[in-house]
Amino acid sequence: MTIKALQAVSVGRNGVGAFVLQCKKMDFHYCDWAGSSRGMNGFIKSLLPKFAAAHPQVEFTVSPRPSKHPVIIAHYINGREKAVCVRNMEPYDILKKAELLRDASGEKLRRVTKPVQSVNESVRGIWSPYHGNGMRV
Amino acid sequence: MSRALLRPALELRAPITRLLQSIRPKTVTPLLGATATISVRFFNQTTQHVEQPTHPNPAVVANATSSLASQRPPLSTQPQHQPPPTPPSTPLSESVRALLPALAAQPGHYITIHIHGVPYLVTEGDSVRLPFKMPGVEPGDVLRLNRATVLGSRDFTLKGAPYVDERLFECRAVVMGTESEPMRVKIKKKRRCRRTKTVKSKHRFTMLRISELKIRTEAVNES
Repeated sequence: MTIKALQAVSVGRNGVGAFVLQCKKMDFHYCDWAGSSRGMNGFIKSLLPKFAAAHPQVEFTVSPRPSKHPVIIAHYINGREKAVCVRNMEPYDILKKAELLRDASGEKLRRVTKPVQSVNESVRGIWSPYHGNGMRV
Repeated sequence: MSRALLRPALELRAPITRLLQSIRPKTVTPLLGATATISVRFFNQTTQHVEQPTHPNPAVVANATSSLASQRPPLSTQPQHQPPPTPPSTPLSESVRALLPALAAQPGHYITIHIHGVPYLVTEGDSVRLPFKMPGVEPGDVLRLNRATVLGSRDFTLKGAPYVDERLFECRAVVMGTESEPMRVKIKKKRRCRRTKTVKSKHRFTMLRISELKIRTEAVNES
């Protein structure tokens, strides 16, 4: 039998070498007429410039969306989007939502039971009955 | 009418710098298993314990938010924390001196780190989802983990009593961000009573990536 090399595909491990923030773009939609957008208008005037300056790796867009509730839409590197409606919120609450979107990865929310996830094979190897000290019966 | 105008003005009037000056400095308790090598946060409420980077090239150690450096108030205005006095270092035992190089020479290693007393068995490159949201950290921050009970390879295991000596390893984790579980709804209802109460939970969890696990064999020569 010929011996063939095993193909090893590289797996991305964000953070091991360089860290890349998963959020790549944030759209802020406001409305000049709607009362629910008062907090968003205040946020855009007062807090957004400093928040955007603190994250040069994220693209920020501010655009009016007339006659609609204010919304923040975050786009992630895996292609998914997360939208959060910030109607009737105060500017600091909107800042907390923006930070929530920045911290998230684009993955769907799922319940995870085990805390550690790894792609490495086991360090101590798989148990075998033929190796080691054996069992006394 | 005037109150409606005044309230938004009051909210916008308080600048961010007021938030920073009103923070009471917090001392780091020795129970914490991790120290953060990050700079002061701009929007966070807790003051950080910052380790002075000993790396010769500080640009490598700085994280993604280094662009904030020009905007934040200088660190000298905040009260300087005295680092806790280091206990006198105990000498390493004979078995550790003899076998640590052999452990380090093997190809794979694992470590059981403790974060707030909870153990996690990790290798390099693993992602850990903590069962809580760590306050005061942002994505990209580097944490140096110094509490471990077991450090092992395929044929050798170093057990701590109760913890492994900190000088023997370096384990760093990068904060990836904060994940959330799906919304859980619990309905509370008693028999023969029609009223139901709905309780919603959606917990947030901090994700870490173990970026570095190094065994310091030079600690054997130092002590």
